[in-house]
Amino acid sequence: MKLNREFVTHSTENEHITVATGKSSFTGMLRSNQTAGFIIEQLKHETTEEEIAAALFAEYDAPEDVIKRDVHAVIEKLRSIGAIDE
Amino acid sequence: MAFYIRTAGLTFRIEPNFSTIERYCAGYTCPADEAAINASVTLDEIEAERASAVKAALSEGRSAEFTQAQLEILTVHKKISEVIPKYGAFLFHGSAVEVDGEAYVFTAKSGTGKSTHAALWRKKFGERAVMINDDKPFILIRDGRAFACGSPWNGKHRLGSDLTVPVKAVYLLNRGNINKVYNIKKSEAFPSLYEQTYRPDDPGMLAKTLILLDKLASTAKLYRLYCNMQPEAADTAYEALEDRS
Repeated sequence: MKLNREFVTHSTENEHITVATGKSSFTGMLRSNQTAGFIIEQLKHETTEEEIAAALFAEYDAPEDVIKRDVHAVIEKLRSIGAIDE
Repeated sequence: MAFYIRTAGLTFRIEPNFSTIERYCAGYTCPADEAAINASVTLDEIEAERASAVKAALSEGRSAEFTQAQLEILTVHKKISEVIPKYGAFLFHGSAVEVDGEAYVFTAKSGTGKSTHAALWRKKFGERAVMINDDKPFILIRDGRAFACGSPWNGKHRLGSDLTVPVKAVYLLNRGNINKVYNIKKSEAFPSLYEQTYRPDDPGMLAKTLILLDKLASTAKLYRLYCNMQPEAADTAYEALEDRS
């Protein structure tokens, strides 16, 4: 899976922002914390939910099941706004 | 025959299909320039714009009948708005007024009262206030500063002037019975600012737009303004700038 090409990210001091071009029906702004932003950044190249969880596990000190749940939740959110190419 | 206009610090060349657009751009035309950016559109591009023009008109309760000459005006504007992030500018939805050499930008969803509030500022300041653009100023980022720019596309009352003015403050307008103003942080203002920013079709241009919008939000003072349509609304908004607390 991969982030759809119409979706663009932007990082401010303490926030990760995801938006979509005029071609997309998503007109809003997805605001993410550092962890969710990390997950979205992983999707800029072809990857899988398992690979993202592994990358996050290597980066952050959190239990594996919590990480897997977080990754799944972020991906589901992205899916709901049409941001995921399967 | 092609004509040239200057806006957002850039020169555009327009080869018109209909004469209406040249009249519409009166006041912004300039001499021929070899380095001008092409903003001409084809009849196919004009027709492709019809559907979105109709949709926008219906959502705002305006007439959805458009001649090709009218659509050419919209299509050229879109073409310019698509390319300008490359040159450090973007299209913003708001009413921008200059007072004493600085620009104040009022933004909100259509129908909130941006133009009405800008008119209150003109009343308050008289000749000290000049409309830059009553509807869709281009925001130009240059040398780390944001400037509000006049352009021919300045709203249904055609209020604006060929000016490029440093932005002092951006106000997010909300209707209220009592006039109140709050200084807000960039993170609070950013979603509302983004909502009123043109979203290019090209991902690269959208990414540039976000960087430029961030610059506007980082350099201008940001306020949330609750206001009615009484003259005191302009007093409340302007006095916020004096408040250092």
